[in-house]
Amino acid sequence: MRFAKVDWKMKDLWLLLPLLTMLASRSAWAQVDLNGEWSPRIYNDNRDIGDYTGIPLNEVGLLRAESWTPDQDALPENGRCYWPADLGLRVAPSQLYIYQELDSATQQIVAYHLHTAWLDQTIWMDGRPHPPDYALRTYQGFSTGKWQDKDTLVYTTDHFKEGFLTRTGAIRSSKAAVTSLINRYGNILTITMIIDDPVYLTEPYIRESSWVYAPNQVTATQHCEIPAEGTLLPAGSVPSFLPGQNDSLSDFAIEYGLPLESALGGAETTYPEYIKKMKTMKRAPRTTTTHYRRFG
Amino acid sequence: MEMQSGSVTLRTGRMFLFVAGLSLVVAANLSGQIRNNASPTGTPRATALKDFTGYWVSVVTEDWRYRMVVPDKGDYVDVPLNAEGRRTANAWEPVNDQTAGNQCKSYGAAAIMYVPGRLHIYWQDDNTLRIDTDSGTQTRLLHFGGSAPENLAPEWQGYSVARWGEENEPIVQRVGGGGPVGQGGPEYENQLPVGNTGANRQDREEDYKPVPRNYLKVTTTLMRPGYLRKNGIPYSGNARLEEYFNRFTYAGQTWMFVTTVVNDPQYLIEPYIMHSHFKKIPDGSGWDPTPCRVDEPR
Repeated sequence: MRFAKVDWKMKDLWLLLPLLTMLASRSAWAQVDLNGEWSPRIYNDNRDIGDYTGIPLNEVGLLRAESWTPDQDALPENGRCYWPADLGLRVAPSQLYIYQELDSATQQIVAYHLHTAWLDQTIWMDGRPHPPDYALRTYQGFSTGKWQDKDTLVYTTDHFKEGFLTRTGAIRSSKAAVTSLINRYGNILTITMIIDDPVYLTEPYIRESSWVYAPNQVTATQHCEIPAEGTLLPAGSVPSFLPGQNDSLSDFAIEYGLPLESALGGAETTYPEYIKKMKTMKRAPRTTTTHYRRFG
Repeated sequence: MEMQSGSVTLRTGRMFLFVAGLSLVVAANLSGQIRNNASPTGTPRATALKDFTGYWVSVVTEDWRYRMVVPDKGDYVDVPLNAEGRRTANAWEPVNDQTAGNQCKSYGAAAIMYVPGRLHIYWQDDNTLRIDTDSGTQTRLLHFGGSAPENLAPEWQGYSVARWGEENEPIVQRVGGGGPVGQGGPEYENQLPVGNTGANRQDREEDYKPVPRNYLKVTTTLMRPGYLRKNGIPYSGNARLEEYFNRFTYAGQTWMFVTTVVNDPQYLIEPYIMHSHFKKIPDGSGWDPTPCRVDEPR
């Protein structure tokens, strides 16, 4: 009699089996804990004007880079308040604070938040779709992520406004998408960014940076002030070099004894066989070899 | 009728309990196997969590001017050298290495993944993953299991022990949480690393059963003194190298990412972290073996 009454519940119990199995093996599938304070170990981002080495720029990308002048930093839209993650995490050494956002009812991770002194980025983990093409584009873009292979947080960012790849004018278009991987190797956090830009790049541009776990660190809050238009530069002006008129473009190549062409980037320059090719290329006489003797 | 239904349900209930129990056993076994970093019966080759074998080419999108050309003497910006490290780097003369037969100093284990070139990775045997490089014609052997033998003579590639990663692997940290040291300047002279070692680490290892990860961790010791870059930035024979290998497929293309941590208190203020990435290629075309050279980037 009793069994007859619980007949339907037995069917329900069968549905619990997969859940039971998942719970039993939970420790094997637990994701990596990314939360906490991370201290940067970001090196080599002191690029000069004309140093586009390693960037697979296409012809249009190079033209845009050549047109850049440092005065463009004074434009309100280029203030540091707007640094996107693919620029800010790589070129602006800053402490990094990562925290997760949980759904109060299910305790599932809704999002990860990456906070530095220069930017705040949200990575949505709840499966929400990316916004439609006509939706508002922002400097940080829109990011969604998922765990892969139990140890890699993979997230994709798109819906950017146009931004910069470097602080010296290499550009990234609003059509770009950035696929980022976050790996925790013990107390080291490595973020790899694969930047794909159909407008200005011919191949994915890959950047890697690492941080070290620093539980006693306190990441600074974000402070920035956007100058009103017309205060630093005349309103409406956009300083730039016209093609062929950038007189600083070759300074970097001359200082380091490089063929000018090699310093201007391009996918070909990123492969080992390019070393052999460089031997046959012209280079201007060097002016110095003591650029970094200042500490010596 | 009701009794019959109840009897059927009883059998169903017993079957449920049996299957549930079986599930728990299977799941626990699975969890245990992964935790132990390998199947108890399989070899490292058979139970590899990721496949790194094949041909790879380095794609130099960062640190280009330190890798694709020989940097100038004294150009060690961004490397956290201490005073002894700077003195040694400033004394670098390539002709001395040539004369002394030390042409391979910049092709040692701490630098070789950073040198532009092609790799061929394959299993030499069930326990040894082998990396051949065309730049400098070097061979690295990644030994799964065990530890570096005692009394082994130092070599350019040292002795590498490989295993799959574990959660919360402790590493040396330095005091404070500010920005990077990175400039090699005298103002950082007193910023010494502190070791998160000893009892603290031991306690944690005892209390905590790590959950394995799918990356490959390689620890290398017993290296001959070498150069981190072609321009004589030194690492010592006491350096300890930790490398983390991972792979990722993006837009149909497979990539291998290597994060390298050089621990060398003799020449470095703090562990130096380097990165390199490689694109998988179908075969050995483009393989260009070169000898060790003191005046060439590869």
